[in-house]
Amino acid sequence: MLAHLLEPTPLPPTVRSNRLPVGSPLYNECVEFLIDEAEMLDELRFAEWSQLLTQDIEYNVPQRLTRPVRMQDGTIIRTVQHMHDNHASLMLRVRRITETRSAWCEDPPSRTRRLVSNVRVYKTDKPNEFKVQSYMLLTRNRFDFDYFDLIPCDRHDVLRKDGDSLQLARREVLIDQSVLGTPNLGIFL
Amino acid sequence: MLTRSNPVLADGTKISDLINLDTREVKMRVLSDAELYQLEMEKIFAKTWIFLAHETEIPNSGDFVQRDMGSDSVLVTRDREGQVHVVLNVCTHRGMKVSTLDMGNTQAHMCIYHGWAFKPNGDFIGAPVDKECMHGKMKSKAELSLTKARVSVYGGMIFATWNIEGPSFDEFLGDAKFYYDTMWCRTTKGMEVLGPPQRFIIKANWKTAAEQGACDGYHTLTLHRWLGEIGPYAKKPGAEGGGADLTPEMYGVEVWTDHGHTMRCIDLDRKVRRITGQDPSELTPEQKLAVLPPPGLTPEMIPDVVSRLSPEQVQVMSSNPPQVGNFFPNGLFEFIYLPTADGKVTGAMALHTYVPMGPDKFMFMNWILAEKDTPPEQKAAMLRISCQLLGTSGMVEQDDSDTWPHQTIVSKGAMSRHITLKYQAKYETGKPDGWPGPGHVGSGFTKDDTNWSFWQYWHELMTQAS
Repeated sequence: MLAHLLEPTPLPPTVRSNRLPVGSPLYNECVEFLIDEAEMLDELRFAEWSQLLTQDIEYNVPQRLTRPVRMQDGTIIRTVQHMHDNHASLMLRVRRITETRSAWCEDPPSRTRRLVSNVRVYKTDKPNEFKVQSYMLLTRNRFDFDYFDLIPCDRHDVLRKDGDSLQLARREVLIDQSVLGTPNLGIFL
Repeated sequence: MLTRSNPVLADGTKISDLINLDTREVKMRVLSDAELYQLEMEKIFAKTWIFLAHETEIPNSGDFVQRDMGSDSVLVTRDREGQVHVVLNVCTHRGMKVSTLDMGNTQAHMCIYHGWAFKPNGDFIGAPVDKECMHGKMKSKAELSLTKARVSVYGGMIFATWNIEGPSFDEFLGDAKFYYDTMWCRTTKGMEVLGPPQRFIIKANWKTAAEQGACDGYHTLTLHRWLGEIGPYAKKPGAEGGGADLTPEMYGVEVWTDHGHTMRCIDLDRKVRRITGQDPSELTPEQKLAVLPPPGLTPEMIPDVVSRLSPEQVQVMSSNPPQVGNFFPNGLFEFIYLPTADGKVTGAMALHTYVPMGPDKFMFMNWILAEKDTPPEQKAAMLRISCQLLGTSGMVEQDDSDTWPHQTIVSKGAMSRHITLKYQAKYETGKPDGWPGPGHVGSGFTKDDTNWSFWQYWHELMTQAS
């Protein structure tokens, strides 16, 4: 009961037989969505990016724990997560950067590069919604630092077709670190 | 009587050369010096009480979590009798970590190197190939136990120290206990964590965060200015303060103590008037707590709270409740009232530690809590708003995490290391009339006395003969 309230709505399952072939029109559309989205975020076009989000979006970054092989089910924590956002809170994050001059942790902004790969697209129970899984390597560099924060992650999205265009209706980002090596998530994944 | 010492660094600099107790200045060198860091591990982190975990993280017999006491890895465990233990996570055989896991449940912690096994309380159970007596005959089994820390559980929070004969936890809390009881010990059922703590690395000295955590209110106006621009404290047109000015939020009462524990108490009357529209002077303390319950509480829970505390504590809680404060050396807590868009108030209850990982690196840990009796929907709301404003992605605390690394980098410069951190804005007020609580108390706009008490106790411990 409590866990149900604390945790986000479960994602639709990945059904192998519902996989769309690589190169099919819908598959290509989803890949283009992810690539265009990465470009918008890398180029700080946040207002434009926010147009990609559905009003009912759930955006989550669970925690990871180091546990034995036989307990891998218990390694993804969805109660206290790193991010636990909805449309209103995502928009506040966007407005903080675009409408104030005091979002210091991203002003001056990080130089980021979102490398998206291994895209898999699945049909879901809803004809206009697709479950899209992708790997992403995000590199982040700030100030005159000579190193990059690397944020490798596994993204589980739901893209919703609305007329001709796709929108992001769900995102869960599994980062491959139990202790994050970047000082904050003032950026979108 | 404790004897003093004045450690000398390799270049001849004494601790007393780095801090000026009269002018309230600290040389920036202390923010990255490797020798000082080692001294801090011995004289502070191996001597004071350190917060490690909440007991609801290990509710069952055999549960454990892996944590850090300064630079030492420890296991926080619960035994069959329900007793909590803290033991050094280093095998007494060849020094492998006994556990590499974040958490788990076992009655026998087996080192994966040669298989030596230990009970949750650290007692040595035995080594494989019993008939060959592979642990030798030179030491008794008792001597091969994991090193055991002294443990104190306060308001559900597990603290430990290596200072076995040193001050009790209550002595360590000192004057802060009167106030901290109004948060951590206020309900009969107690609190719970809503999940494991967030953890992330900041390339900065632990003290940059810890001295700020000693109640620096002043930085809020500039570093967290967005809160007043578009955030939860954004003013409606014509409201007090005006524009993005957060100055009115930083008036209140601040308390500091001789052991570096400090807190900022906010003016609840102002909040009662602003948020509920009621005249606080017409309300009793109990009524005030009921119309604007502290974070995590509901009006129904107030009678229990009042029955557990002294009238003096209830007076503080209902007029100037502590909102943010620290546990010296590296803990911080927040009990925040957050206005939400629908005109209501959601509370956030969070606890941080800044775990040292070398002179210029620390791990930020963030626990999000609620009372066990907080209604589930309210817990969920508190969890979300805490996650959105505090910790890893918190819109407030993400700006802090970009400041601390720069202070640390700067402190290495040949010239810059001599620049001083200054704590010269002093309270000149004394305690407000009728203030019933102990400790050093100032009233009005936030000042530097709280931060300075962090450094005073730092100095006291660094110059204590061991």
